[in-house]
Order: sequence, then C-alpha cells, then structure tokens
Amino acid sequence: MIRRAAIVLAVAQFGLVFAGLLVGHVERQSLPPLGKRYVELVPRELGAANVITGILLSYRAFDTLGEVAVLFMVAASVGLVLARRERRKENLLGDARLATRQASEIVRTGAQILVPLIAIFAVYIITNGHLSAGGGFQGGAVAASSVILLLLADPRQRFDQQLLSGMESTAGILFVLVGVAGLIFANGFLDSRVLPLGQFGTFFSAGAIPLLSVLLGVKVGCELSVILDRFRT
Amino acid sequence: MAELIGTLLILAGAVFHLSAGLGLLRMPDAYSRMQAGTKASTLGNTLVVGGIAFFHPDWTLKLLLVIYFVLMTNPISSHALARAAYRIRVPMTSRTAVDALRDSREKSRGGA
Repeated sequence: MIRRAAIVLAVAQFGLVFAGLLVGHVERQSLPPLGKRYVELVPRELGAANVITGILLSYRAFDTLGEVAVLFMVAASVGLVLARRERRKENLLGDARLATRQASEIVRTGAQILVPLIAIFAVYIITNGHLSAGGGFQGGAVAASSVILLLLADPRQRFDQQLLSGMESTAGILFVLVGVAGLIFANGFLDSRVLPLGQFGTFFSAGAIPLLSVLLGVKVGCELSVILDRFRT
Repeated sequence: MAELIGTLLILAGAVFHLSAGLGLLRMPDAYSRMQAGTKASTLGNTLVVGGIAFFHPDWTLKLLLVIYFVLMTNPISSHALARAAYRIRVPMTSRTAVDALRDSREKSRGGA
C-alpha cells in the first residue's frame, strides 16, 4: 500500500516536472547571436553544408583533437587494467570455458548479413559529414558497433591489434599534419582551407573537412574496436 | 488521401508500441516480456516508418532501408538476449508449460 502510494506520488511529481517544461516551452523564433554568426560563417568561409561538422573540424578542431586524445587514453588505460586481470583469469580457467561458448546460428547468420551493411553505413556517415548529419566521431562509433556484432557472433575471433593500433596512430599523425599544414598554408592550426573549397554542397567540397572527418573516423573506429576487443574475457 | 493513409499507419504503429509497453509492464517473466516487446515494437516501427513514407514520398528508399534494418536487427538482438538470459538461468514464470530449448538440447544429446 505504502509502496503503491509512493509510486503514484513519484509519477505525479514527474508529471508536474514535465508539465512545467511543456507549459514553459517557448519555441525560439531566432538563433542566439553566436549561433547566428556560425550559421552565416560556416557555409561562407568553409563551404560546409553541415554547420556542426564545420564547427567541430575547423573552429573547434583543436577541441576535437583533445577529445580523441581522451579516447586514446581510455583505450590505453582499459588495456592496462584488463590485461592484468586477464592474465590472472587465464591461469585459473584456461580456454576450456571459452570454447563452449558459441553464438547461435541465427546470430552468426545475422552478423554475416548485417556487418557489411553497418560498415557501409559507417563509411557513408563519415564521408558525408560535411553535407548532412554525421561526421568522423559518429561514423567511427557505428563502425565499432559492427565490431561488437562480429565479436558477439564469434567470441573467439582475433583481431590484429597491431594493425588496429598502427592505423589509429597513422590517422592521428595525419590529422595533426593536416593541422600543421593549416598553420603553414592557411590562417592557423587545423584551418581547413588548405584545400580548395570547391562547389558548395558537392561531395568534394569544404576544403580539408572531409579529409579530417575520414581520419577522425578511422581513428575513433580503431580506438573503440581496440577497447571492445580488450573487454573480451 | 495519401496523408490520411499515412496518419492511420502511424496511429496503428503507435497502438502496437503501446501494446509493447503494456506487455513489458504486465508479462510475468523476462522471456515473455522480451517477446512482447520485440514483436510489437518491430511491427510498430515498420508501420510508423511506412506511414512516414506517405508524408515524404522522396524518402521512400531510405525508409525502406530503415524498415529492412529494423526487421533484421530487432529479432536477432532479442533472440541473442533471450538466449543469454537462458544461459545464466534467469527464472521462468511458474506457469511455463514448454521449454523448447531444453527439449531440443536433450534430444540432440540423447541422439548423439
């Protein structure tokens, strides 16, 4: 009885909170000054149809680089923590328990069909980041989700960690090099106007933004894959 | 006319989503909750996305891809979840009558 009353009270409180939001909501008629400035500047200066990716990979590209560095540190520390645990576990259990765990046929067949689809979708998101919603980070996460599916379908699958780390480091170095090119040939570090802006709204446009997006996608995808691979017991 | 059909489809989809929610709340154990949620939300998603296609005919191809993707992923993921739950012996309701997975396992073990 008391529990039921508490639930009713909680629901009523949530209702009040959301009713407050609903009543107090006023649709914005115009953009705030900063947003307005960006919406005007990004298509004119950078030639990117998607304002958000334009901001993330040019004006705020340095922050993006920082975020990727944070992700890299997460990957490294997860490896550090889990590697120690894994060694202990291997002594206790060995591979006997791992061998009995196999995904069902439905999951394996589904993975065969879905992994290529997800990978294509990831590439689409990454390469069209300057035109529509998406970009390197999002596409990289989608690519990593296809890696999860591969792992679920066959937990004994081994990925080439060296190749993944190598690709990730190469993408990171190239990202910084493009940034340095911006320092030399354009107005500053990670200025995307080192490449010609091209026709607004076409695939090859917006200067170095698609290039940076691809590098970011490769880097994020590889980093997340390495993290996922390390979580396998 | 097209918009009316689209609206009706979306409404039907919303009804299925509602039944999925009801199933999640009312079903007795994890497995039946899972099947209620999966079946109803798969059909509900298909209907809602199909209804949107009537409002935006130029999106039809992309929406068909979305439907295909939902039809592929939703059953597979809930199948994998239910199997995982079975593996760690999540209890079934006391009214369970058939356990097909156990039966088939015993049969294959007996035959081998």
